[in-house]
Amino acid sequence: MQQRGLILIRRFDPARFLKLLPALLLAAPAAAHAQAREPSAVVIAVPTLATSQDVETDAGSTWSLANQIADLITADLDSTTRFLLADVDKVRIPSFPEVTAPSYASWRGAGAKLLLSGFVNARSDGRLTIGCYLYDVQSGRELTRKGFAVTPSEWRRAAHRCADLAYTKVTGNPPPFDSRIAYVAQSGADRSLVKRLAMMDFDGASHVYLTTGNSLVLSPSWSPDGKSIAYTSLGDDRLEVRVIDVESKADRPLLHGGGDNFGPSFSPDGDWVTLTISVAGNSDVFVVQSNGGIPRRLTTSPAIDTGASFSPDGRQIAFVSDRSGGPQIYVMNYDGSDQRRVSFGPGDYDAPVWSPDGEWLAFTRVEGTTSRIGVMRANGSQDRIVTNGPRDEQPSWSPDGARILFQHFDQPTKRPRLSIVPAEGGTARQLPTPQGASDPAWAERQE
Amino acid sequence: MTKKPGILLALAAAAMPAAAQAQLRFPVIVPLGRQGPQPPGPAQPPPQVVRGNLIAAAGSDTVYFSRKSSNLDANAAATLTAQARWLVANPFVTVRLEGHGDSHDSRDYALAIGERRANAVRDFLVLQGVAPQRISVTSWGKEHPGTLLVGRSVVAAGPRVQTVIQ
Repeated sequence: MQQRGLILIRRFDPARFLKLLPALLLAAPAAAHAQAREPSAVVIAVPTLATSQDVETDAGSTWSLANQIADLITADLDSTTRFLLADVDKVRIPSFPEVTAPSYASWRGAGAKLLLSGFVNARSDGRLTIGCYLYDVQSGRELTRKGFAVTPSEWRRAAHRCADLAYTKVTGNPPPFDSRIAYVAQSGADRSLVKRLAMMDFDGASHVYLTTGNSLVLSPSWSPDGKSIAYTSLGDDRLEVRVIDVESKADRPLLHGGGDNFGPSFSPDGDWVTLTISVAGNSDVFVVQSNGGIPRRLTTSPAIDTGASFSPDGRQIAFVSDRSGGPQIYVMNYDGSDQRRVSFGPGDYDAPVWSPDGEWLAFTRVEGTTSRIGVMRANGSQDRIVTNGPRDEQPSWSPDGARILFQHFDQPTKRPRLSIVPAEGGTARQLPTPQGASDPAWAERQE
Repeated sequence: MTKKPGILLALAAAAMPAAAQAQLRFPVIVPLGRQGPQPPGPAQPPPQVVRGNLIAAAGSDTVYFSRKSSNLDANAAATLTAQARWLVANPFVTVRLEGHGDSHDSRDYALAIGERRANAVRDFLVLQGVAPQRISVTSWGKEHPGTLLVGRSVVAAGPRVQTVIQ
């Protein structure tokens, strides 16, 4: 992502910055603090980053950035169930040379199995160099490292990448932290409701609005390259899918004319969009090239067919149909063949989305007046509910497939909000948003 | 150049090159095309007044559905029959049928079933003799959850179609 000013440095070696070794201090051992975690959770120490020289930058001094970056990495890792954060307060902060030669004994004393340390240096071109190193403290060896050159205002991205480094190394899952979330921000009451397309980093930072709020916007869907978002626009005269470029904010309708259309979802290669087109009241699933063209019809039932979503390999499409009476989840091949029902649990099923590995479907299940988020295998087995309700809907997977982002109704503020829950169920954590928030879409990480 | 025109004009013409002289022979402007200025059309009452008239004649501009259904019940059919009669009697009015889903539907499903309900109403009105080109159809999904006064309590009434005067 050149335009966001991040360049990966390969084979960065801070040894050439070696300077004076500060006096060595004795480190006191400290136990990791107790939290509800997976039994396999790894104890990791994330000390404050080092800086070779405290330099003022546009985003504050490198020393203060070193503290903020360590805090952000800690918050990222702590938001998963896979890590226990070691108490690093009693261990002396590593000096710059110690980043590449950690004193393993003191980290062992802190109870850590892994050490994630790094440095922040100011470069002559006004950017920052941020390096991260992951060590196995027990065996005393380096596991992996990465360096980034980034503008000072974008230090958060480098911090997220450092957390990604540790997360992928430990879990083997795709990196989740340096990723963006699109959603619909809403303000105003019933009749004067304003809905705007908005975008932010996964932790709520770097928040921007993409549309002005002149028409209602619904159900955003990322293009796989992260450059554009397809969404439903609902105005006085038109219900249509539009595509917006997230950098330039240039906006266009996906189709030219035709019936009311809504509910877009990109194919994994970005070349196609599946959507619902309603002709004379009959809604069916169509597919169309993402740069426009003639839509091809995939479903032909007189019932409602909608809510379509591509599988990660692009070969299958999950959708919702009420051909059996109430809304249920169906799966078909990308050409519309072999349509089969996969949801058979109690209540109505809606809004299916595929997990990044293609093994699971997340969905909304409505029983009576309670709606909750659930997951099941793509063939319909192992159906289970992962949130408590009472009004949870619109699930979206995290890029690593470990968590599900969804919309819930926040009783105190009487507005929808976004929360994240582990995919296997557990405690949901609310995401901070400046206004009411609905219709989340979590993007894959962009290089 | 004749000697008849006034001496000033002759002098001026003589001072100009040939191309400029041609412009002096100004053509007569003839109005072309078949459309004169638009005569003022029949004054139309504002939509709120028309809406009030529709509600007075038909009892309501809105018909309600049960969840997941787009079937018109007896109440809806009676209201729509009266609406159709009123529409036939007021041929200058065009309407938009706005379908709504239920707050428990998903976004997409609510839009789809709103379309289906609005089209069910459209089909009914057309069968009652309203010209199809006077009716447009749209869906608000679950974006405008409605309420209804039943006795003294306000209840949610999402699934509905409203006949909106254009």
